[in-house]
Amino acid sequence: MRRSTFAWFVAPSVVMMLVFIAFPLMSVLVQSFSLTQPVVESLTVETCTPSFVGQNCIQETRRQPVLDENGAIVTETRFVGLANYATLVEPGRALAALGNLNLNELLSIDFWRALRFTLTFTLITLPLILVVGLGLALAVNNVTRAVRGPVIFVTLLPFIITPVIGALAIRWLFVSDGILTRLMEHWSGQDIFMFARSWTIELLMMFYRVWHVAPFAFVIFYAGLQGVNQDAVEAALIDGASRLQRLRYIVIPHLMPLIVFVALIHLMDAYRVFEEVIGFRSEAYVISLQYLTYDLLMPDNTGNRAINRASASSMLTMIGIVILLIPLLRHTWRQHRGTR
Amino acid sequence: MAGIELRDVSKRWGKFTGVDRFDLTIRDREFLVLLGPSGCGKTTTMRMIAGLEEATEGDIIIGGRRVNDLDPKDRDIAMVFQSYALYPNMSVYENIRFPLKIRKVPAAEHEARVRRAATMVELTEFLDRRPSELSGGQRQRVALARAIVRQPAVFLMDEPLSNLDAKLRVSTRAQIKNLSHELKVTTIYVTHDQIEAMTLADRVVVMKRGLIQQVGTPTEIYDRPANTFVASFIGNPAMNLMNGTITDGVFQADNVRIPGLDAIDGPVTLGFRAEDAAVAPVGQIAAPVYTMELLGDATMITVRAGGALVAVKAAKDFRVAIDDRVDIAVPPGICHLFDSTTGERLYA
Repeated sequence: MRRSTFAWFVAPSVVMMLVFIAFPLMSVLVQSFSLTQPVVESLTVETCTPSFVGQNCIQETRRQPVLDENGAIVTETRFVGLANYATLVEPGRALAALGNLNLNELLSIDFWRALRFTLTFTLITLPLILVVGLGLALAVNNVTRAVRGPVIFVTLLPFIITPVIGALAIRWLFVSDGILTRLMEHWSGQDIFMFARSWTIELLMMFYRVWHVAPFAFVIFYAGLQGVNQDAVEAALIDGASRLQRLRYIVIPHLMPLIVFVALIHLMDAYRVFEEVIGFRSEAYVISLQYLTYDLLMPDNTGNRAINRASASSMLTMIGIVILLIPLLRHTWRQHRGTR
Repeated sequence: MAGIELRDVSKRWGKFTGVDRFDLTIRDREFLVLLGPSGCGKTTTMRMIAGLEEATEGDIIIGGRRVNDLDPKDRDIAMVFQSYALYPNMSVYENIRFPLKIRKVPAAEHEARVRRAATMVELTEFLDRRPSELSGGQRQRVALARAIVRQPAVFLMDEPLSNLDAKLRVSTRAQIKNLSHELKVTTIYVTHDQIEAMTLADRVVVMKRGLIQQVGTPTEIYDRPANTFVASFIGNPAMNLMNGTITDGVFQADNVRIPGLDAIDGPVTLGFRAEDAAVAPVGQIAAPVYTMELLGDATMITVRAGGALVAVKAAKDFRVAIDDRVDIAVPPGICHLFDSTTGERLYA
């Protein structure tokens, strides 16, 4: 293809990416380093009231927003460096808490609380999803051809359901008068409140995420299994490899690029966990980084949005994702170099 | 070291019969070739011996032990596949070592055994490479080394040369022959290539549609084919076959008249090999030349006779124009007679 033809073909998508991804990203980056506040002026007002011996004058200094000719509040934007980040992370308090080994103190800062949950959530669901997805794929690959279609359909259902609806469904199963809670109460003989403690809520959130995403991993792995070299599997069978050894030496190495792919996608997704916080209404106990950003963006009682802090928070989320992806990307890069 | 007995072994899928009552005893250290066109059941037979396919009926006995219900790994066999079936994520060394590692052979022995196997197939300098960095011939040698490293009782080879180009096929074939001479292990070799069968085998089993057509040494099969299928499958070119009738010991067909045959009257199929006949001033076949092919060491003359194309080898400097008439000498001594309906050999 000629260079100019190629340019014409990719131009629309490059423009889209610039307009909808690159520029907003730059804007968020810039905003995270600046602070936008109303311009406030100090006004000294002397109020005099007539009295018996002349007049009583009270001088009063008031701070009030400057208004423009239309009556709108005038704002100014300043470069504040890392101030927004500092407000979020509170490095002084965090370091002090770490120094005292006082985890509760550290987790009383919203950012660290959110980071703690986000990391736990991501790192615990990742292996579970890979294992459950691979398990499902191997199971379906081994059932007779006749029932394979229906089994695949049922397996995919959780993946098809809208995330918020799925989260709500799980919540309703486990709320205080939900069926499953009642069942567990019946078995254990004691009252159970799944939504009264942070760890039970987290457990449900992770369960929901695995239930929701494992089918995606399953589909990818199942497709990959169709490409396993059957001769190599049979050779291993004759060489004496057990089922587990065939999985380890032939199937898993064959699926490795797909495993890395699913892990990449899942890390990016799980680190931005959000639906679960909304669906399970867990914000009183557990919040995620994405929820923190959302919360900062919502107008507070006085109608102000902390857009600059929200920008800082989303930049930090992105940095977190990149750090998590580095090992996987390095693996992929080495494979790429190796096959050349 | 073990002989193999196959007692009326059959493989059926529903109504389809892949292998029909295969009955054969393979001697210890014998090199047996299963030969036939694709779909004849040769690979299925081998896979049943390997345990990759279950026999529907019959007994498979390796070294005096019935193995029908044993897993492939417990049958003490090694197999080489047409597609090499190497483990792509392992180095050549790891590939060859794999059977030892899996079977918990003491680790101290691995190095020496892998090196010995690699030396036998001349792979020592490639041990650190990945299979993807090797040529087809080298890959198949890795597969051979992986098979011999464990010193199994039986080798199974499923068309190991079919994926190689012609030149490599010849050199690897020679290597396999040499290996089998050195190792003296019972070997079953599946191929559709009759030259491989002729060059490698102690005995050849010719198969067609799941049935054994003939079992014999390469010479027997070449010189006394049991039926027209074997006759037309073995040899390059295949045996010339003509349909005609015998009256008073004289075979007659279109452009053909061969007297002096010791046979009863009736319709027969007569066959002879291209190299047994010769172009002569006066011959039993007189027909116009259909085509002439220069083979280098000989000239192949093909004429139309007896309703078929009949080839004969002439001297390498013999030249003739297409459509010229030639005479071909077919003495009765070189003729094979087959039943014209069943194709079975007459007068064994």
